[in-house]
Amino acid sequence: MTTRTRLLDPAVGRALSALSKVAKQGLGDPALAELVVIRASQLNHCAFCLDMHLAIAREYGVSQKQLDLLAAWEEAGDVFDERERAALALTEAVTVLTAGFVPDEVYEQAAKHFDEAELAHLIGLVVAINNWNRVMVSRRIPPGGHTP
Amino acid sequence: MTTHTPDTTITTTVEYAPEQPARLDWAKHAPEVYKAMVRLEIAARQGLDHKLYELVKIRASQINHCAFCIDMHTKDALATGESVERILQLSAWDESRHFYTAKELAALELTEAVTVLTDGFVPDEVYEQAAKHFDEAELAQLIAAITAINAWNRFGVTCRMAPGHYQPGQYK
Repeated sequence: MTTRTRLLDPAVGRALSALSKVAKQGLGDPALAELVVIRASQLNHCAFCLDMHLAIAREYGVSQKQLDLLAAWEEAGDVFDERERAALALTEAVTVLTAGFVPDEVYEQAAKHFDEAELAHLIGLVVAINNWNRVMVSRRIPPGGHTP
Repeated sequence: MTTHTPDTTITTTVEYAPEQPARLDWAKHAPEVYKAMVRLEIAARQGLDHKLYELVKIRASQINHCAFCIDMHTKDALATGESVERILQLSAWDESRHFYTAKELAALELTEAVTVLTDGFVPDEVYEQAAKHFDEAELAQLIAAITAINAWNRFGVTCRMAPGHYQPGQYK
């Protein structure tokens, strides 16, 4: 499979990077941020993003067990704690908008574990990775371009 | 609603469901995230035809069920001279192709593919059709624009931003 185009307006690229950066900083939990970003990239089938963020997650010390079971986090018992599960459920709902709205239970569960500022940044982070997933999948950017 | 009969006038008030309050004022709680979104929006719309841009925004917002964004972009489209018919037919554009140009149809098809990523990849035919009508730089902008409206849709739906209050051109 060949790359379709590498073109992306530099101003667009900078805005996308800024969004990711401020959202992640505001969430203040780099390991959780990687779980969220990887799960969204799985749902959106973004090979580039998966390759990049699995490498970053390992750097942050996210366990191999969590990375292995992330695609089935709901069935993974205590591999993920309640806070992680709330964040992952919100990530899925915000990513798969076309299947419906963000359910009240999902939102409320997230609101129990994250204060309003954290929640606003968590939503921002899910939006930010959804952006990257779209620009990478559409242009068919191959995995492997990222060096930690 | 008012019903007129020969000898009397009966007035009934239609009672709509109450407006749901927003869940979260995300821009207030994450102002730097909002600022980055505005930057993305400004960068993504550069070089794209305004009419086409609004069609893309409305269609993505329909697919993502973003009521706030539909309210905003249908009003903006109407205010800038888009026809009611073209806006109304947009949710069935594939069956009403004669309302749109070949270039608009290619953009709408790409909008659907890039918006519904979870169902699969962006098909070659869809990408190639878009590449026939848009040069490489313009196509990159179109992808950025589809990405940007998807981003606004996610904030709008997740935070349950209420539709109905938007005035055309409010954020311009």
